[in-house]
Amino acid sequence: MNKRNFLKSSAAALAISALSLGAAGGALAANKVLKIGFVGVTSGPAAAWGTSNVRSMQTRAAWINEIGGVKIGGDTYDIEIVTFDDQKDPKRAIAGMEKMAQEGIHYVVGPNVDDGAAAVRPVAESNGIMYFPYAFPKSLYQKPASNAVLGMIANYQSGPAIYKFLRDKKGVKKVAFIAANESDPLSQRDGGVAAANALGLEVVADKDTYQNDTRDFVPVLTPVLRSKPDLLVLSGVAPGNAPLLIRSARELGYTGFISTETAQDAKVLEEGAGDLANGFISVGGASTPEIRSKAMEEFIDRYTKMFGEYNDESNTKVYALEYIIETLKMNPKGIDDIGEFKKTMDNFSAPNPYMKGDATLKYVGMTSFGQKRQVAVPMVVNEYRDGKFDTLFIAEVD
Amino acid sequence: MEQVLANGLYLGAQYALIALGLTLIFALMNVLNFAHGQLYVLGGFVTYTIYGQLEMPFVAALFAAAVTLALVGGLMERFLFRTVLKRSVREESTMLLAAGTAFFLDAIILLIFGEKQRGVPKIVDGVFNWDFRLIMPYDRILIGFLAIFAIAAFVLYMQYSKTGRALRALAQDRVAAQLMGVNVDRYSMIGFALGAMLAGVVGGLLVTITGVNSGIGGPISIKAFMMVMIGGAGVISGAIAGGFILGMLESVGLSVLHSYGDITYLMIFASLMVFLSIRPQGLMGKPWG
Amino acid sequence: MTRTTKIVGVGAVLAILLVGIPALINISGRWDLYYTLTSVALLSIASGGVWLTFYIGRINIGQGAYALMGGYVSAILVVKYGVSFWLTLPIAGLFCGAVSVLIGIPILRLRGVYFAMITLVLTEVARLSMLALPITNGAKGITNIPLPGAVEVFGLTLIPDFATLSNAKPAFYYLSIVLMILCFAGLYRLVNSRLGKLCRSLQQNEELASSIGVNIAYLRVVAYVISSFLGGIGGATFAAISQSVYPSSFTIADSINFMLNCFLGGLGYVFGPMLGTLVLYFGWDLLFQTGEFQLLIFSTVLIALILALPNGLLSLRFSKAGKESVGRE
Repeated sequence: MNKRNFLKSSAAALAISALSLGAAGGALAANKVLKIGFVGVTSGPAAAWGTSNVRSMQTRAAWINEIGGVKIGGDTYDIEIVTFDDQKDPKRAIAGMEKMAQEGIHYVVGPNVDDGAAAVRPVAESNGIMYFPYAFPKSLYQKPASNAVLGMIANYQSGPAIYKFLRDKKGVKKVAFIAANESDPLSQRDGGVAAANALGLEVVADKDTYQNDTRDFVPVLTPVLRSKPDLLVLSGVAPGNAPLLIRSARELGYTGFISTETAQDAKVLEEGAGDLANGFISVGGASTPEIRSKAMEEFIDRYTKMFGEYNDESNTKVYALEYIIETLKMNPKGIDDIGEFKKTMDNFSAPNPYMKGDATLKYVGMTSFGQKRQVAVPMVVNEYRDGKFDTLFIAEVD
Repeated sequence: MEQVLANGLYLGAQYALIALGLTLIFALMNVLNFAHGQLYVLGGFVTYTIYGQLEMPFVAALFAAAVTLALVGGLMERFLFRTVLKRSVREESTMLLAAGTAFFLDAIILLIFGEKQRGVPKIVDGVFNWDFRLIMPYDRILIGFLAIFAIAAFVLYMQYSKTGRALRALAQDRVAAQLMGVNVDRYSMIGFALGAMLAGVVGGLLVTITGVNSGIGGPISIKAFMMVMIGGAGVISGAIAGGFILGMLESVGLSVLHSYGDITYLMIFASLMVFLSIRPQGLMGKPWG
Repeated sequence: MTRTTKIVGVGAVLAILLVGIPALINISGRWDLYYTLTSVALLSIASGGVWLTFYIGRINIGQGAYALMGGYVSAILVVKYGVSFWLTLPIAGLFCGAVSVLIGIPILRLRGVYFAMITLVLTEVARLSMLALPITNGAKGITNIPLPGAVEVFGLTLIPDFATLSNAKPAFYYLSIVLMILCFAGLYRLVNSRLGKLCRSLQQNEELASSIGVNIAYLRVVAYVISSFLGGIGGATFAAISQSVYPSSFTIADSINFMLNCFLGGLGYVFGPMLGTLVLYFGWDLLFQTGEFQLLIFSTVLIALILALPNGLLSLRFSKAGKESVGRE
């Protein structure tokens, strides 16, 4: 073998060994291990969505393991989080769900988008996996589907509440919608338009779209703002685009309200739009200081220590793992049998550790889906002001 | 209408500057640099760190971004592209290398700077408002002029400096340039560094307006390709024209096609395809195979 | 290679793909590999099409468009018109082939990066069309697509109804592997035929080929149609596996990946796209437990591979023997 060939083959060998390194498993602890999965997007332009999921889960798992694990039935478990980056590609999301099945996992958080959630459904159903998507299509949660549990508030639940509030309290009459030309935002826009029409609001723009890679939103917004809306709804806006849209709208002289139905991060808004973001309305979980419990503050603390910086989207995303664990505590048989888990969901109730007062964790969704396939996250409609969120009003979903 | 034209001009200036670096590298080495957008993002993050986090002057941050990116570009050429170009049978193979580099930079940037959208304080406050017919924040105006200034400086540099002449000779005919005594390796590296630097400078300039986000490198690269193709690959004037045309197309297109709603972008892209099939080498490209 | 060793070699590969791998999966219990390998098979079919356009000297970054189109054609026919999946599979391929004639005639005149660019734009046009067309159900996609049904001839069940199987994974695996074998057998045959030689002449010098009487316009379109046909087949099968199709099912990222698969495997080798897809897709999959460092390790390995083997992985084995089969020196 000459030198060149040797170099080539050793490079190839190196590559293969590096690849197979990834296949080696993790370490075992003294407690039993309960594996919870995550399949979602943690790289690329939408990385923020999945990353806040993963980090919430990892923070909470490390916390639980540090205090000796969680007692489910007769056994104490350490929580291990197994993550899979689907790169926002539905084909990879299926592979991720297959990996979870292979690991013997029955509870998975994610995927983050509509197409991924629809694509993993056959795999989840044939392998006995409950999954908690952050995607809104109703068919995922309505019968005959029964394995998906919506992990947050859907836009068709929060949107009407926000529009009604603004119509009644702030005199909003004309609404304009703008959305990225992708499945999730467009579906959310259509839902928003229907809700606004039902409330008797005048929809002055409902067809304006932008490419998700747009960096300069002035050309997009110029024609929209000519219709002089009182409320500009950023349907399904990505956290990275929200400050840019807000800033462009304000700099073009727009003075009305701006709102969205997805969770946002205060730091991102502050850096991206500064004072111009004041008054921006979004929806979060236990996001405002007034309603946070001590446990939530400790969670934020631990998250910040672990990853250097908190993400306000995690105010909502902290809940999915909590629901899984608490439901399993109530019915330990669910650990290997999602049928038991589903039975428990109907009557499940536990105190909400992240909210002040006597809020409870329970499954909801009867109105929207006809079965309890949604986690009850407090619907905290908040307003951004000077670097943090203020509570506008709190509502519940049934 | 004034507003639409101004939007287009501003967008065009920044697009043209992005396209310049890409077309330069393409002209010199026939490398379609998939990592161009990532270099732009890196420039943005350097500026973000120095100006936004360390609170040093913006000019210093911009300078640091330019130097860092020139360095990164030079290293990329010397240790990656040069090796592959010399040994590959078909030079398109560098597209795989460029894509690999893009993934690598994406990973590094994501690990170091995180997944969040980042922004810096405004460099100038205030908004220019002409009777609501034309509204333009002062920082946009400033960045727009800086971008045009950078484009002009680059064109003059290419036209009159010794390096610029050597680079142009290299782009025109690699073999002939070599025969005329141009050090091909050296100038390829300089050209690559210059292209990367341009990407870094735009990233640094635009971080003050649109912020920066670790995931946008890929989309930016793709947009830059479009501008280059509209104008004609490997031609500097073409890249500038392509940038301004795409900027105008977006601004005017979005306004004119406003009533078509959802399909605005479909029409923009479809007309781009029609344009390219009528004019297969772009506006001013050489009919290159 | 003599004829006998060739036959033995082909037999061995077939045995490994159709018997060996399923047996290994059963023994090791790694059921997740079925899907991974199914994906590799389908993606390499689409990449095989891209490879063929490389073979006539075109950089094709538009295969995602045809994969998406194929997925939609199959999904719409199955869901809205109740056509059997098995019938929609060839229809999807033929539909894509037909569309690619219309698109190909004007754009195949373009070369080099211009062709690359216009096909890249085509991918985005396809995505936006699927969002906008009335028949595609727009942003909401098509979901709940039924699994492929049974195929019976004179009461004899040739293919069982996938929905009645306790596990559809192996069934999809066999389907995809058979499609892949057919696809690459066809490509191999094509490349070694007279048509293939003409294609190679196109890759080297179109003007020269034209001057000696090769009908280059016709040849280009034929290659492009076959390429798009394969893209459509791959996409249609994917829609059946995920039982859903969205405008984002195949995007620019997929188009680029199809192209990268060809580069990585080696442009000079028919089986290059197969190997390239295996390494790129499987590599990413294997690394999933490295969590946040996945992309970093993946890209580092990728760069190392390109530096070591700039002409593709297969150039390692054929570095001496295969020189003649490489199109251009």
